[in-house]
Amino acid sequence: MLECEGIDVFYDDLQALWGVSLSVEAGEIVALIGSNGAGKTTILRTIAGLSKPAKGDIKFDGVSLSKKPAYDIVDLGIALVPEGRKLFGSMTVLENLELGAFTGRARGEKNATMKWVYEVFPLLEERRNQTAVTLSGGQQQMLAIGRALMSQPKLLLLDEPSLGLAPLVVQMIFDVIEQINQRGVSVLLVEQNAHAALERAARAYVVENGRVVGHDTGQNMLRHEHVKSAYLGGV
Amino acid sequence: MSFNRKLLATAALIVILAILPLVVGRDDIINLMFMMFLSVTLAQSWNILGGYAGQVNLGHAAFFGVGTLVARYLWFSGTPIYVAMLVAGLVAVIFALIIGMPTFRLRGAYFAIGTLGVAETVRITVGNVLPIVTALPSNFIVNYDLNLRYYAALVLAVLTVLVTYWLVNSRTGLGIVAVREDEDAGEASGVSALKHKLIALAVSSFFAGVAGGLFAFYHVSYYYQFPFAPNWTFDALMITYIGGVGTLIGPVVGAFFYVTVREWLAVSIVDAHLFVFGAIFICVVLLLPGGLVEAWTKMQRVRLLSRLLRPTPPVKSVVKGRGEQT
Amino acid sequence: MPIDALTQGLVFGILVGALYGLAAVGLSLVFGVMRVLNVAHGELLMIGGYASFWFFSLYGIDPFVSLAATIPTLFVIGIVLHRGLFVHVTKLREEDRIKNSLLMGFGLALILDNLAIRLWTADERSITTVYSGAAASLMGVSLPYVRVGSLLFALVAILALHLFLTRTYIGRSIRATAEDWEAAAIVGINVDRTYLLAFAIGTALAGAAGALVSVGYSINPGIGLEWTLKALIVIVLAGMGSVGGTLAGGLLLGAVESVSVYFIGGAYREVVGLVMFLLVLLLRPKGLFGN
Repeated sequence: MLECEGIDVFYDDLQALWGVSLSVEAGEIVALIGSNGAGKTTILRTIAGLSKPAKGDIKFDGVSLSKKPAYDIVDLGIALVPEGRKLFGSMTVLENLELGAFTGRARGEKNATMKWVYEVFPLLEERRNQTAVTLSGGQQQMLAIGRALMSQPKLLLLDEPSLGLAPLVVQMIFDVIEQINQRGVSVLLVEQNAHAALERAARAYVVENGRVVGHDTGQNMLRHEHVKSAYLGGV
Repeated sequence: MSFNRKLLATAALIVILAILPLVVGRDDIINLMFMMFLSVTLAQSWNILGGYAGQVNLGHAAFFGVGTLVARYLWFSGTPIYVAMLVAGLVAVIFALIIGMPTFRLRGAYFAIGTLGVAETVRITVGNVLPIVTALPSNFIVNYDLNLRYYAALVLAVLTVLVTYWLVNSRTGLGIVAVREDEDAGEASGVSALKHKLIALAVSSFFAGVAGGLFAFYHVSYYYQFPFAPNWTFDALMITYIGGVGTLIGPVVGAFFYVTVREWLAVSIVDAHLFVFGAIFICVVLLLPGGLVEAWTKMQRVRLLSRLLRPTPPVKSVVKGRGEQT
Repeated sequence: MPIDALTQGLVFGILVGALYGLAAVGLSLVFGVMRVLNVAHGELLMIGGYASFWFFSLYGIDPFVSLAATIPTLFVIGIVLHRGLFVHVTKLREEDRIKNSLLMGFGLALILDNLAIRLWTADERSITTVYSGAAASLMGVSLPYVRVGSLLFALVAILALHLFLTRTYIGRSIRATAEDWEAAAIVGINVDRTYLLAFAIGTALAGAAGALVSVGYSINPGIGLEWTLKALIVIVLAGMGSVGGTLAGGLLLGAVESVSVYFIGGAYREVVGLVMFLLVLLLRPKGLFGN
């Protein structure tokens, strides 16, 4: 479904990714693990269209993404939940969700989709008239995911969804991710919390210094020596 | 061109300009060249702060105007004109530093509109306090020597370019350019942004002030507020950008281009040059940020490249080689 | 009675202040959404003024009526200018954007000023309708119909803009883009089209202000810089983020100007505004009413 083929990405003159190749098949949860600054966020941003690859290509259902602006990529069915959430802080929960359905494809079904999002996150319905900036961290994360779901994505890109959240909330977020996946949405998940990500992922890639250095099933990764010591606390 | 060849060419040019008034007897050409030299000085002085230090200053006319006031007053009071011009430059520096200290707290576009605000305030105030014309006393008019003004302008233009060259190639100059490239990064590595901006401002305003003195020396009569008008700033800015902002000869080339085209267009329609230059300016900003200087270096590179790719005349051959045609 | 002169001056100041606000609101919208500082904004206002003047002089159409034609005309001009020029600036990084848009606007202003002189001469123009001299009188204060009408229109236009930005889907997408363009892009908002729309609306608002200036006051090809400065002063005074705040800033500027005229005379009217502008810029850069 999604194919990254040998992409190089630069921030001005600084190279961030070297020949990154990865794929996500329909219905999968794929995890990207690696330390801070390894390039995981850059990979997601590039797929979403916020950065453009200098070399290589990204294909989604056969369509090349590398020349498309981010807002067209949303229309094709990819939604990004970025690191730091990037909510529209001055707007309410409802307004944020509504804007999530801006693309032509999703706009017609706005109300139906919003009902589903409220089912997944009842809290958002309660607070729908509250401004986003007044929400707690966990609630903001829920809103960010909910907003991304409003565009009816086929592929959901999640960048550090558990960052800064209390363990109970983290658990809930991961359950929601599985729930969304069961509805048929593929997921590409970047996570510091490698254990939680690998437990649920069908496959995983390890990213180090802007390169993909490992690729295996989620279960195998959990048992891998190097991965255990580097990212799983060495147990 | 190598450095020595550049030096030789520059020296030759200065010599030609120096003997020009003796060879060409026409006042209109001398006046045109005067305008060109004045433009070079104003543009190059703006370039120091706007081009090299990267602080787009829209209030340059205020320094120029202050220079005219001081020089005119001193000169009419009996001070020799060269002393008056020098003092004009120094007063302009003091004035600039006073407004520079608070204004430099503003960054980028805010600095630009802030300086514009200051300059307009000064202009209106001068226009209110001195709404009249300043006219050369009759004894000054009788002794008016155009060639003298020509040489004064030439010397000032050359001096401005020389000092800019020296400043830019000095250690301070490095700091100034560092401020333009990335002010915060510079601060982090110990380059005091404020100090370097103030130095650039001082040199910039000094030459603008002396240019003001030159203006006062040259013109027989004008409204006191005339040199404070924003078009003096805008002309200097446009000349610098069209010629090549942040380069040494950019303002020179730009001034030559500007004054020449303006004269040429003035024959047909007055003020049409602003239309043309506005369009050229936009093209420069969008397509060729380095101005005429960049266009020149690009052309040189193309010529060099084409010479490299074809060392010998094309040879008729059955076998197709790179760049050859059958 | 001297106090009447002060009150009268204050009223006139508020009446013109509404136009300051309307002129500023367009520039503020463009800057807020795209981080583009179009210093040719005053020239766009001037074009609106001339459009209104010619609709009146050639076809006898009342200036308040011809707004229905002037506003769409300037909207289209805004689209053309954006597509032709300013879109290239939006491709740059933010710091470069502001500086380059400033330079570009400056070049554009020169061209438009000159075009105006060439097309319409440097003469001062003003629209004089049948009701131009008439005024209502309220408690001894004169309220010229034309200027009151302009104030009402400005209020309506600014209110309409506010409602558009807060109550409509497209309007909210514009605000979203202003807040965080990347976030807007990743929810599927066509950021490029949003920029175009914001710029066109900003231009249309400038044109509307210009039309009102041509009937209540006068226009000539040189008013561009003057009105750009007014708009900049109001934006700095008011701060960014609120349409209502910008209106308040305009009214404040108008009021302060006229009160100052009462005390120190008309010669320093512009200076008062500029000094306030500089003080706020240096001491309270976020503006007096902004967030």
